[in-house]
Amino acid sequence: MVSPHCHFDVLVLGGGPAGMVSAITASQNGLRVGLIDEQSEAGGQIWRAPWASSPQGYESPEARDGNKMRDRLALSSVTCLFGRRIWSVTDRYRVDLLGADGVETFQAPHLIVALGAHERVIPFPGWTLPGVMGLAAATIMLKAHGLAPPKDWVLAGVGPLLAAVAAGYARKGHPPKAIIDLSGPSDWFAALPSLASRPGLFKQGVGWVLSIVSSRIPIYFRHAIRRAEGQDRISACLIGPVDADGKSIDGPEVGIACDAMMVGNGLVPGGEVPRLLGADQVYRHELGGWIPECDPFGRTSLEHLYAIGDGAGIRGGAVACIAGKLAGLAAAHDAGRIDAGAFAHQSAQALAEHRKLSAFSDAMAHMIRLRPAQVASIEADAVICRCEDVTRQDLVAAARAGARDVNQLKHFTRCGMGPCQGRMCGDVAAEILAQEHRLDRQAVGYWTARPPLRPISLQSMLGRVDYADIPIPKPAPL
Amino acid sequence: MSTMHDLIVIGGGINGATTALFAARGGMDVAVIDRGPLCREASGVNAGTLTMQMTRVALIPYALRAHHMWATAREWLGHDVGVVVCDGLSLAFTEQEAELLAFRAGKRREAGAPITLITGQQALQIEPGLSDKALLAGHCRVDGYANAYLTGLAFRTALLDAGVTLTENNPATDILQTSSGFEVVTKQGPLRAKRVVIAGGVWIEEMMGWLGIDLPIKTLVNQLAVTERIPTAMRTVVGIANGLLSLKQYPHGTVVIGGGWQGSGSREGGTCSLLPERLVGNIRLACHAVPALKDARLARAWTGFEAETRDALPAVGPVPGIHNAYVIGSIHSGYTSGPYLAKLLADQILGREPDLPLFPIDRLLKPEPLAQG
Amino acid sequence: MVSAFTRIVASHHALVHINVDGVDCVAPAGEPLATSLLAAGYVMLRHSPNRHNPRGAFCLMGVCQECAIHVDGQIVQACMTPVRAGMVVQLRGAV
Ligand SMILES: Cc1cc2nc3c(=O)[nH]c(=O)nc-3n(C[C@H](O)[C@H](O)[C@H](O)COP(=O)(O)OP(=O)(O)OC[C@H]3O[C@@H](n4cnc5c(N)ncnc54)[C@H](O)[C@@H]3O)c2cc1C
Ligand code: FES
Repeated sequence: MVSPHCHFDVLVLGGGPAGMVSAITASQNGLRVGLIDEQSEAGGQIWRAPWASSPQGYESPEARDGNKMRDRLALSSVTCLFGRRIWSVTDRYRVDLLGADGVETFQAPHLIVALGAHERVIPFPGWTLPGVMGLAAATIMLKAHGLAPPKDWVLAGVGPLLAAVAAGYARKGHPPKAIIDLSGPSDWFAALPSLASRPGLFKQGVGWVLSIVSSRIPIYFRHAIRRAEGQDRISACLIGPVDADGKSIDGPEVGIACDAMMVGNGLVPGGEVPRLLGADQVYRHELGGWIPECDPFGRTSLEHLYAIGDGAGIRGGAVACIAGKLAGLAAAHDAGRIDAGAFAHQSAQALAEHRKLSAFSDAMAHMIRLRPAQVASIEADAVICRCEDVTRQDLVAAARAGARDVNQLKHFTRCGMGPCQGRMCGDVAAEILAQEHRLDRQAVGYWTARPPLRPISLQSMLGRVDYADIPIPKPAPL
Repeated sequence: MSTMHDLIVIGGGINGATTALFAARGGMDVAVIDRGPLCREASGVNAGTLTMQMTRVALIPYALRAHHMWATAREWLGHDVGVVVCDGLSLAFTEQEAELLAFRAGKRREAGAPITLITGQQALQIEPGLSDKALLAGHCRVDGYANAYLTGLAFRTALLDAGVTLTENNPATDILQTSSGFEVVTKQGPLRAKRVVIAGGVWIEEMMGWLGIDLPIKTLVNQLAVTERIPTAMRTVVGIANGLLSLKQYPHGTVVIGGGWQGSGSREGGTCSLLPERLVGNIRLACHAVPALKDARLARAWTGFEAETRDALPAVGPVPGIHNAYVIGSIHSGYTSGPYLAKLLADQILGREPDLPLFPIDRLLKPEPLAQG
Repeated sequence: MVSAFTRIVASHHALVHINVDGVDCVAPAGEPLATSLLAAGYVMLRHSPNRHNPRGAFCLMGVCQECAIHVDGQIVQACMTPVRAGMVVQLRGAV
């Protein structure tokens, strides 16, 4: 079953900054590396390869960094296994993929997991309407595909991505009709000192502010979407004030006609693979949610399993690169390719940089943290689980019927049982359950991870088989 | 000093929960202890098939009565657990399988299961979703399925309504025999009762050890998979002659694919993992039987632990040599038959004559402790 | 048709024809189908299977499954599926 032609010392899952850097570092230190990603090119979300324009023609700093790293990857001896969906990861590290040619299997004694994060959107009635999209989706349209929302669009949510998307589209002449920012100016000011530690980003941030100001986009600070309306598509939304914790408060509500909305409330680490393998997990509110317990090199509780990047805690692209370097070195060391002295020497600088960057990444993670009070304000009829149309009131009823952990909640309601496998609803559903029982998040747990990591068609798993070829175990006793 | 219950049931799966329910309805003061939430091990993750065509011959009379219980779950349990009663088809695609099917169906029919043999063409009329490649099929009108993940919700409400003391998320670690009965040591402190039922699924071996009894239990790691919701592709329960496929589509549209393909794992660690090539094998069989499934996407696959005794027959009855201690578990296709066997055990505990004999474990013990006991 | 998403970068990719619910459309070959559909004004892609509410692409990164529609008879995630000439797209989900 295991692909006979490839012998890898380490497999890296995920071709974003963390994964790319770890792959390059490991290969520079003598390991045979396979780098796996579903996209056809490396880059991940932040360095997503510009697709619409020719690569040289794109101007953003992220695109430049991404192109630089893609060039380094191309020059390295890393084997790139792109365009393949990872659907199963099992012991001692066997990875099953689905690519254009069907199912494939690779195996390596070391596994570095760098599968990133997904977006958190705090639900409101109507957020399931077509035309309502995630902030991350907006950045993808902007960076990779050169696509802008229709003229009357609103931008809502929290954090630096809000400013980046607003400015990005404003510069292209497609500013949002309004920005609805959960945080207030004081929250932004509070983050300023930590920004000073990253002059490049500081400059970028100032640029965003200037673009936003000069396009005169109305900004509603300390506001959130109360509901979206429309038939087969969003046609309007209602916004209202919130307090410093994100809780809806009394005050004038404003209706805005719009035919698209981009909304996002931060990121949730995608820790499914370490969880599937049984690595120890911990809930860290300030890092976005449940993450594998790791040492500074990304080593999890399982031997030779490393978790890095946003999937191991939301820290952003710059930290992800350093984490990649550290994990790459650790893998080389743990595999006996570099000795303890060289390992200590080479990692010292990266560890120092990591510490230097943490003020900034902590401040950003703080801005996009989950606000429990905002979750408490979600309306009873808001759909929480989009796949199965499970509402807040359904979850509350299940909690009252005795569901005390998230997997029980799933059994009682089907919340999280649909094809997104609970990624869209998990964080909020767990928070609702915890609040209902006045428990902490650690106590209500996380979804049990299950394969396939993403839905795959049965057809694609079949291959060419004859009935007689299906290996059938011995029948059960009569 | 904690209260003295009439009965403590250790393990709140289908077997423990049903025993507790009927004992409480029979007038006993009952407590149920589970390490986790109710019915979240085998009884919450199983395929929910309520079929005669995979049931062991010796269990058919029990399974038929249990099937009736499931079909009327709303009446005695207060919740329908999503039960659908429908036809079941067990298919044979090769001459060899046809022979196996004819033999097995015959034995099960002798035991009382209303299974008839029909041609592949006739099967196609009953289930238009089938492939036209079947040579022969076993057809049984007493078949169907439940929605296993609702079992915990159903029993939780029923047990509380029946006045049972429920302690979930509370592992038991030992059983002490006292002058007045038993003291069960748990994480949350000791619980005392006159009688005790061991109903810990694959963990009954360890629990019997607390009483000094050696009852070897093998752990099966069964794999299951489910598709996302798809348009109606089938209306019956479909299996194959050797029992290695079970397929049905729930009213909400998902198709559960099972058949006892084995994953890896151990009950000690409590962890199990799926073997991808076995999952692929199971799916190939499924698509061979019902071709429309090819267009579906696999949403999730999982594993669960099933217990098996040396002779693969149940362990249900008194614990030899220990007055007022009972065990229930290791029932093949135990989700189907469990409720009825548990009701029989409750009858015995309540001092009533069970309608059918239990499956005492004396046969499974080494002769020495028996002689001493 | 209500206002569509707008292209703001001139693409250097070849345009090809695809068929969307019987209507002929052009789209850049290789672009994720979800993006092409937005640009062509198809914002609603399917209905949710449980309560039959209208849905469209949401995350564009393969996570939410809201863009899972039929392409050439198979369910695929439109945001992860590159446009190919002659693709037959049906705006309906798994159910
Ligand atoms: C994947 C799978 C598919 C199956 N499919 C079918 C099917 O389609 N049809 C069918 O008829 N049968 C099926 N079965 C079999 C059926 O599920 C089992 O026979 C039945 O559920 C067993 O019930 P139980 O109560 O004995 O065990 P369980 O349901 O496992 O219950 C045992 C309980 O004991 C608790 N426990 C364990 N240790 C302790 C402790 N120290 N302290 C306190 N509590 C403890 C556990 O938490 C658990 O809740 C399947 C089994 C599996 C695993
Ligand atoms: S839009 Fe979310 S998976 Fe495609």
